[in-house]
Amino acid sequence: MQRRNFVSYFLIFLVLSLIVFGSAKIGLLKPIDSLGKGILAPIQALTYGVFEKITSLGSNSQLETLRAENLALTQKLSNQNKLIEDNKALRDQFQTQNPKSAGLIEADVVGAPMFIPGISVPEVLILDRGESDGIKVGLAVVYQNNLIGKVVGASAFSSSVMLITNSASSFTAKTMATQSQGVIKGQGGGGMILDNVVLSDNLQKQDTVLTKGDVDTEGSGFPPDLVVGKISAVSKNASDLFQKADVKSLIDFSKLSKVFVVVSN
Amino acid sequence: MKLLAFVLLTIALILEASLTTIPFVFLSLLCLLVVSRGNWLFIFAFAFGLILDLVTFKTLGISSAFLVVFLFLVLLYQSKFEIATNAFVFFASFLVSFAYLWLLGYNDNIILQAVASSIIALLLFKLVQKLKFKIYG
Repeated sequence: MQRRNFVSYFLIFLVLSLIVFGSAKIGLLKPIDSLGKGILAPIQALTYGVFEKITSLGSNSQLETLRAENLALTQKLSNQNKLIEDNKALRDQFQTQNPKSAGLIEADVVGAPMFIPGISVPEVLILDRGESDGIKVGLAVVYQNNLIGKVVGASAFSSSVMLITNSASSFTAKTMATQSQGVIKGQGGGGMILDNVVLSDNLQKQDTVLTKGDVDTEGSGFPPDLVVGKISAVSKNASDLFQKADVKSLIDFSKLSKVFVVVSN
Repeated sequence: MKLLAFVLLTIALILEASLTTIPFVFLSLLCLLVVSRGNWLFIFAFAFGLILDLVTFKTLGISSAFLVVFLFLVLLYQSKFEIATNAFVFFASFLVSFAYLWLLGYNDNIILQAVASSIIALLLFKLVQKLKFKIYG
């Protein structure tokens, strides 16, 4: 009797969860999602602040004053450094020919879920720009002419970007020197491979890998000729159908503070 | 018991949303299920899963589905075997933390995180047992 009871509970809530999941996937719950995030964000910020306060309880007041002063000065320095960095990033981006700066939206990186410095590398970035700024799912994200990733989720005021090294990432690419074509597959942990390259093609170490371009009619996808990375090792066996190569991005994703979303080519 | 569950899950949710990637909500649900074995925990799993998705930027419903399936599997297992043991809590939390982190695309140090989760689950299990005994006798 009890068994039948929990099976019915399970079925009801599993179906409910799947309905919610399906609706969220096709975008039906976007308003609720944005509203929920809007309500919960201040609570989340408050609890984070409380945790910080708790850890500072019982400490010396003079020390606290010095610490606060130090913090204020560090903040000033950090703001100044950020301005210098932003200025440099914007200047670099404006000097870049591909993609054209007119079709870009600059965004600050505000989070990297599940990224622990020294232990793991970022797989996803959270940006401070969302649908209200013209960001939509599928758009490419770049830094200068280097490909960073693709927008995989967008709410009104924020969006998430799957990095090209994410194990779920896969797209077509070509090499610069030999024009060999293949598929770049993220390996997780910061790695990528260029796979599905026919054996007759010539892959060279240190050759630059570029996007082949897969923009659809709505403007989503990767524009051609963005830099993916450089080939660090080639693996070619006569008995295999294809050859492959390890590719390393030229960008350190963990140090990105500003990126650009390609909204039009 | 429902009030205790609500308080514990709220604390777990705050911790998971603000401080750490360790799946505290799932660990709390496991301990509450092992101690209470109530079907009402499905409602909590569904509701807290939705809030967790909101604060961690996941697609709404994915955590709820995971938690609901997990509760069902534990309840299926308890109809054949005893679940209120340290060994069960340790291994169940290890396996499901591993699956949870893997499914969410977390690639590095999954085993280390799963072991940490298991140890935390054991401590939580003891805490919930004591609290239940103190509050409800």
